[in-house]
Amino acid sequence: MTPASPATLDKRPDTRTGAQLVIDALEREGVSHVFGYPGGAIMPVYDALTASRLKHILVRHEQAAALAADAWARVTGEPGVCMATSGPGATNLVTGLANAFMDCVPMVAITGQVATPLMGTDAFQEIDTFGITLPVVKHSWLVRDAADIPDIFAEAFRFARSGRPGPVLIDLPKDVTQANGVTPGTFACRTAARAVFPLDAMALASADRLIASARRPVLYFGGGIALGRAEAALRAFFQRTRIPAVATLKGLGALPTDWPGYLGMLGMHGTRAANTAVNDCDLLICVGARFDDRATGRLDSFAAHARVIHIDGDAAEISKLRHADVALAGDVAAILSALAGETGPIEGWRRTCAENAERWAFRYDAPGSGIYAPALLKQISQAAGDRFIATCDVGQHQMWVAQHCRFSRPQAHLTSAGLGTMGYGLPAGIGAALAEPDATVVTVSGDGSIMMNIQELATLRRYRIPLKIVLIDNAQLGMVRQWQELFYEENFSEVDLWDNPDFAELARAFGIEAFTLDRRADVPGAVERLLSTRGPVLCHVRIDPRENVWPLVPPGKSNSDMMEA
Amino acid sequence: MTTQIDIDFLPAEGAVVRLIGLVERRGFALEAMSYAPASTTHRLSMTVRPRPGQRRIETLKAQIARTYGVTAVSERMAPPRLEAAS
Repeated sequence: MTPASPATLDKRPDTRTGAQLVIDALEREGVSHVFGYPGGAIMPVYDALTASRLKHILVRHEQAAALAADAWARVTGEPGVCMATSGPGATNLVTGLANAFMDCVPMVAITGQVATPLMGTDAFQEIDTFGITLPVVKHSWLVRDAADIPDIFAEAFRFARSGRPGPVLIDLPKDVTQANGVTPGTFACRTAARAVFPLDAMALASADRLIASARRPVLYFGGGIALGRAEAALRAFFQRTRIPAVATLKGLGALPTDWPGYLGMLGMHGTRAANTAVNDCDLLICVGARFDDRATGRLDSFAAHARVIHIDGDAAEISKLRHADVALAGDVAAILSALAGETGPIEGWRRTCAENAERWAFRYDAPGSGIYAPALLKQISQAAGDRFIATCDVGQHQMWVAQHCRFSRPQAHLTSAGLGTMGYGLPAGIGAALAEPDATVVTVSGDGSIMMNIQELATLRRYRIPLKIVLIDNAQLGMVRQWQELFYEENFSEVDLWDNPDFAELARAFGIEAFTLDRRADVPGAVERLLSTRGPVLCHVRIDPRENVWPLVPPGKSNSDMMEA
Repeated sequence: MTTQIDIDFLPAEGAVVRLIGLVERRGFALEAMSYAPASTTHRLSMTVRPRPGQRRIETLKAQIARTYGVTAVSERMAPPRLEAAS
């Protein structure tokens, strides 16, 4: 983002409307894109927007505004901005806010509110946005005085991106944005008591002693690497220690997929090599991960014989679920760089992990002539190269992307990891493609998920966003069906989507180029067409509805209890 | 076991609701509470008990400490509850 020049801002009159101050504040923060949808209570801001250089992306549902802003933030590292009106506009944002909250994505959400004299009277489109969003925002402000707008916005952007990033919300009553002749005041900035952690020399020394004495160490990293922009430090640490490494779903891409010693994703749908290494390790170096249940399986059996070094940007994560023998809270990159990382005699352990990775590598020689989704996704990611960005929905296809795609950087894999939001993929693809126009952005969705935000095909068309959509269609809610098959005695309940529309026809109705793929022999041509199409394109892929995601750790089981096909 | 935590924070609209909600969402039952406004920072004192499950008071304190507007969090053991003789 490029902030407006002070000279430009200085030419503005001393007194502005509240709405103009909102726009001024966004420009001052260097915001270039706002994702939103207008309505009654936010109309003064939309009125002021027309005189601004901000690019507004008109989505077709407010949830998509928040999810697109989320992806924008993940790619750029700067807060994404979304905007909606009061009442249903604000409540439609809530899922997107929760998504950003769970995955620690910096975001500034702006909502209109009924005028202050009407608040609390059950006015038209009045809802307590501040109250509804309390559990899913890092902080929120209800602006009572237009003069406070500049400082509140500055504080909101600062707080959204600081420490453990997250979404913040600014609720703007209509009389506040309509206020005329406002002279910006000084709003008292407030800071959390969060400490700035200096490097703890004693803890660093303790960590280095544990690393030196370990015989079976494992490096376990997560989304905190991307949040802390610490991938260079992680890669340097990995290269100098050559400690076998595993990633969480959010950690994918922090180490390039094909680096030797990197064992892939751990957890419920992780690789057998990754889960075995963690199971057998005597030292777990956890970096920017939080012992999430999808990663650990049954917690008391997770790395049961290991000491733990926990490195995280958020002190509240240390020892939250697993006791840390050495705790290092602070700047993840600085901590990784400060560790000497001299290992003991672990060559045999490295060799064992490498042999396991080779022995249990995924296979792509599935029988039959139908489409094998894992192989297709792997081919697409390889063909797209280092500019590849995948945005996923939630379900079987999400796990196939995580398992089989090639990622060269953390920003290459955008997924709703914490909240598991079906409907994330398409709006996230929009946000990612706008954030990095040179990237090859591929949304991988399922026939269940895409219907959650299908209306955003209109947004793609409107702005001619060159998003490539790969729609994996098994005419099922596949992951639910898989669990019903395995854990509910094949009592299939409400998972059959036999009455799906013809997705290629549907896309064409929105003005999007589309084609259907259902024969393996046609895959090379389809990949070529998908990646070479200049505008938005949808590839509708029909697969066998009986396909499952393997391996799988059953819920509540240890990661050593993996099920295979 | 119950613990008393004292939270000093800068007064703002919704601040008390935010803090109470945080404590309950993070798995602690609120057994007693007092609120003392002061000139610059206000103090919310809560007696809390972890609900079933492994919830650490240190984690809760860190989660409160990172909340916007909070200036200090401290902990003291709550006095044992006296039961009236029957």
